[in-house]
Amino acid sequence: MRKYWAYLIGSVAVVVIALAATVIVGNEPVLGLDLQGGISVRLFPAGKFSSSSLDTAKNIIDRRVNGLGVSDAEVTREGNNIVIDLPGVKDRDKAKRLVGRTAELNFRPVLAELPAEQQGAPPADDATKAAVAACEATAIPNPQALPNTAAADDKPGACVVLPGRKQEQRTVRYFLGPAALTGKDTSGAKSRFIQGQGYGVDLSLKDSGRTEFNQLAQTSFPKQPPQNSVAIVLDGVVQSAPRFNEPNFPGDVTISGSFTQGEAGDLANILQYGALPVKFDEKQQTVESVSPTLGSDQLKSGIAAGLVGLALVAIYMLLFYRLLGVVVLLGLLLSAGATYALVAYLSNSGFNLTLTLAGVTGLIVSVGITVDSYVVYFERLKDEVRSGKTVRSSVDRGFNRAFRTILAADLVSLIGAGALYVLASGSVKGFAFFLGVSTILDLLVSYFFMHPLVVILARRRQLVRVPVVGIASGLDAKEATA
Amino acid sequence: MSPRADGRRHTPADFYHERTNFDFTGRAWRWAILSGTAILIALIAIFSRGLNLGIDFEGGTSWQVPVKGKSASVTAVRDVIRPLGLGDAKVLVLTGDSGTSVRVQSLDIQPSEEDAVTDALARYGGVQRTDVSVNTVGPTFGDQVRNNAVKALIVFFGLIAIYLSIRFEWKMAGAAIVAVVHDIVITVGVYAITGFEVTPATVVAFLTILGFSLYDTVVVFDKVKENVATIGTVRGDSYSKMVNRSMNQVLMRSISTSFVAVLPVASLLFVGSGLFGALALRDFALALFVGLLTGAYSSIFVATPLLAWWKEREPRYQALRERSAAQLARADASVEAPVGEPERAEEPEPEPEPEPAPAAAGVPAARPQPRAPSPRPTGGPQPSTRAPRPRQQRRRKRR
Repeated sequence: MRKYWAYLIGSVAVVVIALAATVIVGNEPVLGLDLQGGISVRLFPAGKFSSSSLDTAKNIIDRRVNGLGVSDAEVTREGNNIVIDLPGVKDRDKAKRLVGRTAELNFRPVLAELPAEQQGAPPADDATKAAVAACEATAIPNPQALPNTAAADDKPGACVVLPGRKQEQRTVRYFLGPAALTGKDTSGAKSRFIQGQGYGVDLSLKDSGRTEFNQLAQTSFPKQPPQNSVAIVLDGVVQSAPRFNEPNFPGDVTISGSFTQGEAGDLANILQYGALPVKFDEKQQTVESVSPTLGSDQLKSGIAAGLVGLALVAIYMLLFYRLLGVVVLLGLLLSAGATYALVAYLSNSGFNLTLTLAGVTGLIVSVGITVDSYVVYFERLKDEVRSGKTVRSSVDRGFNRAFRTILAADLVSLIGAGALYVLASGSVKGFAFFLGVSTILDLLVSYFFMHPLVVILARRRQLVRVPVVGIASGLDAKEATA
Repeated sequence: MSPRADGRRHTPADFYHERTNFDFTGRAWRWAILSGTAILIALIAIFSRGLNLGIDFEGGTSWQVPVKGKSASVTAVRDVIRPLGLGDAKVLVLTGDSGTSVRVQSLDIQPSEEDAVTDALARYGGVQRTDVSVNTVGPTFGDQVRNNAVKALIVFFGLIAIYLSIRFEWKMAGAAIVAVVHDIVITVGVYAITGFEVTPATVVAFLTILGFSLYDTVVVFDKVKENVATIGTVRGDSYSKMVNRSMNQVLMRSISTSFVAVLPVASLLFVGSGLFGALALRDFALALFVGLLTGAYSSIFVATPLLAWWKEREPRYQALRERSAAQLARADASVEAPVGEPERAEEPEPEPEPEPAPAAAGVPAARPQPRAPSPRPTGGPQPSTRAPRPRQQRRRKRR
């Protein structure tokens, strides 16, 4: 019993605190292009380019600004220009950064491998910071405390601490020297199957790059691991850190290792396109703010219509389940509060989530769909009660069985959301994200709010037995008339 | 539909009290014809009329015009181009260092119409025709996004099939996926028939339907799976009858959840886009509305009968059905001939309720069929106090 009170109070407290924090911090959901407008950046290609390379550039930019799939930025090709509409961005410099950020490919010598950053480790002392600045690999006393280098300080000439790509649950960080060469020094990359070694990547270098690459190879090759490696860094993340197997590379460079076909392809793509295949003329580039495409009345009517719908849902639930309908109502309020706090947080964090009209109304609709879980539970209670049990003795058993059903159904949604999120892009990815979030929320609310509240209510004899509005009455149980 | 167990028609109260006794599987051919026709119409519409894909998929034409000497507004520009048939176009007002301009994007139109739009926009902006830049614009939801989405969907179905096969069984997975495909085809068909524009938001709505339809079907199948243990506890039982029993047990739940999910969507469609005139809502609210309805329909009338039909082909359930039929025939015969089969002794049901089956099946574990202290070793007619169980009967036959 105490457990249920704890769940109930805990779940409500979590949501209330989250909402309070949202208000205090001043987070608000960021609305999409259609509702709030944003900033439009137009890029003009410079020099020679082909139509297909423009398309590739468009796709790369799209991936970068829409990486997580929830920001709903629009990237279009207009004639030979590429137009990037960024929702929710007010600051022009930020817009330029988001778009222009795309071409940072660096090759850096590895100075040391570091363990993952640890929360709560003692902060790095000045000596450590000085060691980083001076590029001294040996003198780092407590590497866990060393923070990753911020994007703004990630300059080619400086020594940096950068995370590796997540692989097999293992996150390695690297302490890296100044960039020896950049994406501009490469001319192409291809993945291929190498006999006896698995998949690898062939990297072609320009003449300028070859000299620098060989210099790096000559100094690094004789050193101890991991200092005999070169880190391929894209946008502040070490994509791969292959070891030099020779001191000199007269022709192309082959990167081999335990790559899967997909990894080799990814790496080749990064090496090939990390720098965009088309140069854009920075002087011609225009940055303009854009108006919303839909009037604010559309948002208002969308929200109003959604609320009317939810009110109808609430009425139906109250008529059908009487006092238990109130549980649904409170549960919906809780879910709505949690969703608002979450969306507001994600809008203002690295996710850059924005809500279009479809997104807003979709959220309202999804709230309606989560009522399913309540219905599954209550109908199960009805079954139990009909088989002759009292309401009080049914609530736990009924929940155990109902939760199995809810879990089975929600797992289907989660699997679907996972597959779509990983594989799809653009608005489909965004949808998958919301589906996953609302499903997890549904499970949590069912377990930590719905069931405890019902248990607590069912212990109160009066509440169970009140004629017409009581729980027993809502469950079509005989106790009601007692 | 089929009458109640006592031969009377169903009343609304029967739904509420879960006393329904509909025959869902017995008339599967009806639903098969209904769904088949709907799918056929949808497919014909999709392939003959095609879908009205929005600019996000197809690309189109873009006009950009500087506006001199006044402040531009989206509504005013819309009013200018609506008579030219561009009421659905995307209109943006851009403000930059070089002043204000207006961007209009629409699907490709005839060259003559394109010129008319250019003229109208130049007039609106107070500039020369040559100041209007006209460009072709590529799709935002282009081939790559589409290919990724298709790939993701295939993996999605694969994973769901594997999960459902593990959690339930592969025939249930198959039936659930057939039902989902049924819903999607019909919903897409409605778009082909009505000619409503398909936008990325519509695609998202289609996916929502996927999720909802699966959820509904999983809940029904969960009940069916639970009730598999009760097969044979009712006289003349078969897999189909068990499925029917399960369906009647979850019917009210199915109706409630579908109704509750449809309410907000219906509100968006009728109140939002109808009453308030928020047309942007219409395009995807329609998809959700149709999809949720067919989703509710398909989990009851497509997935479940399909599952029953499929399972009945398995030898053990076929055998059960035949045994049950024989049993029922014998029971009928025994009513006419008072002295005969041992089952006759059980003819008056010990339970006083008129319809004990669903209630008992609802909680099978709670009420295990009381195994009468088995008198089997003594041989002879069995003085069993319960309804006959086909399994026992088989033993008897063997003797």
